[in-house]
Amino acid sequence: MAEKKQKVIAEEYIPEVKSRVITIDNKDYLLQNDAMFTFYERSMGEFSPFFLAIRDEKKILGCKCSKCGIVRVPPFVTHCPDCDFTPTEPVEVEQIGKMNTTPPITYFATSMFLDKAPFGRGRVILNGADTALSVMLYTTTGILVPGLIKKGTEVKVIFKDERVGQISDIYCIPTSELTPEQIAKKGLQESELNWEAPKEPEFPPASNEDIAIFKQSLKEMRAVAGEMSRSKRARRAIEGWKRDIAVKTKGGEFAMYINDGNFRIGEEKLDSPDFIMACEDPRTLLDGLRYKGAITDAVIMKKLWISKNMEFNTVFKLDRLARFLVMEKKEQATR
Amino acid sequence: MAKKVGIVGAGITPFKSRWHEKTYYELAQMATREAIRDADVSIKDVDAVFYGIYNDIFERTAIPEHPLQGILGLQNKPGIRISCGGATGAYTMSAAHAYLAGERYKIALVLGVEKATDCFDFLSMSATPEVIKTIAWSGDSFFEQKIGWTASDSYAEVVLGYMDKYPGTLKSEVTARISSLLSEQVRNNPYAQRQFDQVTPEEVINSRYIVYPFKEMEICVYSEGAAALILAEEETAKAISRNSGKPIVWITGVGESNEHSFAGKNHKNMSHIVSDYLGSHRAYEMAGIKDPVKAIDIVELHDAFVHQLEISLAEFGLVPYEKVDSLIEDGIMLPGGRLLVNPCGGLLYCGHAVGASNIMSAWSARKELIERNLKTALVHGTGSTVAQYTACLILEHE
Repeated sequence: MAEKKQKVIAEEYIPEVKSRVITIDNKDYLLQNDAMFTFYERSMGEFSPFFLAIRDEKKILGCKCSKCGIVRVPPFVTHCPDCDFTPTEPVEVEQIGKMNTTPPITYFATSMFLDKAPFGRGRVILNGADTALSVMLYTTTGILVPGLIKKGTEVKVIFKDERVGQISDIYCIPTSELTPEQIAKKGLQESELNWEAPKEPEFPPASNEDIAIFKQSLKEMRAVAGEMSRSKRARRAIEGWKRDIAVKTKGGEFAMYINDGNFRIGEEKLDSPDFIMACEDPRTLLDGLRYKGAITDAVIMKKLWISKNMEFNTVFKLDRLARFLVMEKKEQATR
Repeated sequence: MAKKVGIVGAGITPFKSRWHEKTYYELAQMATREAIRDADVSIKDVDAVFYGIYNDIFERTAIPEHPLQGILGLQNKPGIRISCGGATGAYTMSAAHAYLAGERYKIALVLGVEKATDCFDFLSMSATPEVIKTIAWSGDSFFEQKIGWTASDSYAEVVLGYMDKYPGTLKSEVTARISSLLSEQVRNNPYAQRQFDQVTPEEVINSRYIVYPFKEMEICVYSEGAAALILAEEETAKAISRNSGKPIVWITGVGESNEHSFAGKNHKNMSHIVSDYLGSHRAYEMAGIKDPVKAIDIVELHDAFVHQLEISLAEFGLVPYEKVDSLIEDGIMLPGGRLLVNPCGGLLYCGHAVGASNIMSAWSARKELIERNLKTALVHGTGSTVAQYTACLILEHE
């Protein structure tokens, strides 16, 4: 199998050798960029057959206790701890199974998974197994929303086209999104699926009322953006961040600029934004900025569309911007 | 017969989202100084130290406790570090208890400390994604780390498993009310990270999803800070108490349990936190508690997530599984209700400085027992993947 030439730590994660000073109560404190890293040539040991079967044969292996017969997937043990360490034997299990419980969906991921969110991760009991395999879950229909995959939902293992012998070489999608042929096929690959491409929503022509709502919303957004840029705490939410965002609504288009603590709304259309947001009603975004409903949730609930999934990160920052402004106001009122 | 063990002193640092002004060395000493002062003993009187530090990567060093031995004035004395995920603090108290009850030492320092938010993600220019990444190194390294395991999503699995089994429980209006209630209770905790962050249930419901089904204001916040206790065996405790004039809060029960880390037949039951059930009931048995509903006045539990707080209280036998929302709906944990739950604001509002958190909970439980003149408290820590680990302690005020 072809392996992409990748670094174990991607270049963009690595900060420069640098330090800065921050001042608290007239005292200076030194902050140094740093990392703690160790490289491994890690043996997969007794799990080698499991990972090699995924990589080279598109098979899922488990282990079966020769006494009690329990089939564990992944094949955790060479000897069954429930049967006084009786030896186990490798067995192949099916590539279809049912969700053990309703899986969570990660919207706010770790720094290493920001580009993969939102994703589900749950446990599937593959047919022929007694224990659950932890898998990532996706849908071919766009963003994974609550309710789409539940306890008992039947899912199928999908193999990535390029595999390196890691658990991330596989993931699952609901069988309800597959054709009977795809369901029947062993070793179904990612490239054989029909993925719905992200499509920018189209809005019907605007009425006079839509245009009036747009103008009023824009005015109110500018006011809240001004407050945010003046708030010391809110500025921290977008410290070091820069994005030019084109926002399209039914009543008109505008621009949002995030620039290292500054947040500004412009009336112009952007030709080359970092990404596009589209929402029929601009009040969805206005409510988010006013801390009356999360913008993240608007994306999840499909009221607001973003052109790049990776920009969930920016959406989180906008939610945090709104929250920090409210927190600062509350603190001022309390103290 | 094992010796009785009591808490004779306690102290904590402020819990903050970031302590730019202090390293974990200084935080550890700050909490120790407070605890020593509270017990009115000298550090020279302390026989041994039990360190609760969760994650080497947070402290950016392996064996993070070794520099503390001298800094705390305990050179040449025994020192043991306990690391049990989120339950580190509770397990640390449990270990110290065992040594004192076994008459190995007379006075022990229990010290929890954590410095989490030095971690920083230079790509998103924020700490949180790097903090949760650091915790995510705790997931199974062969099968789960590479598919986005986080502490949040693993606890969410258990919560959703519970909701699968008990549909209609853990209602969002109830979890929102609990978060709001904790935000009110935290007003009285001057050491809390979010002392002045009172939120309405509506704000909780409107906060964004982090990991479904958890919203931002239903999750604990990462903190930096330290917490310390002075524990002593019975006779020594009585002498210290006579000298300090402060009552002894006895540790009368301790119980722990670690579940399987993977699910399925003969493995982890994903619809329950069995470790919470076993840990609490083992502690009840040791303390001679037959009916926890009657016996327990205060619960200081590890509320990593509000939904898990509810499940944990059910596992403790303090509310029925299928009627867990009665915590709010029947007013059980509301002001005037029969249970005082997390008067410190919990880890949601006081903050979660992992190794220190459960020790902070014990600090709060002791304070509340004395100030309110109540008898019995349950202190709890949960941790690891899928709420796998639990340690519980019963505290009793004479």
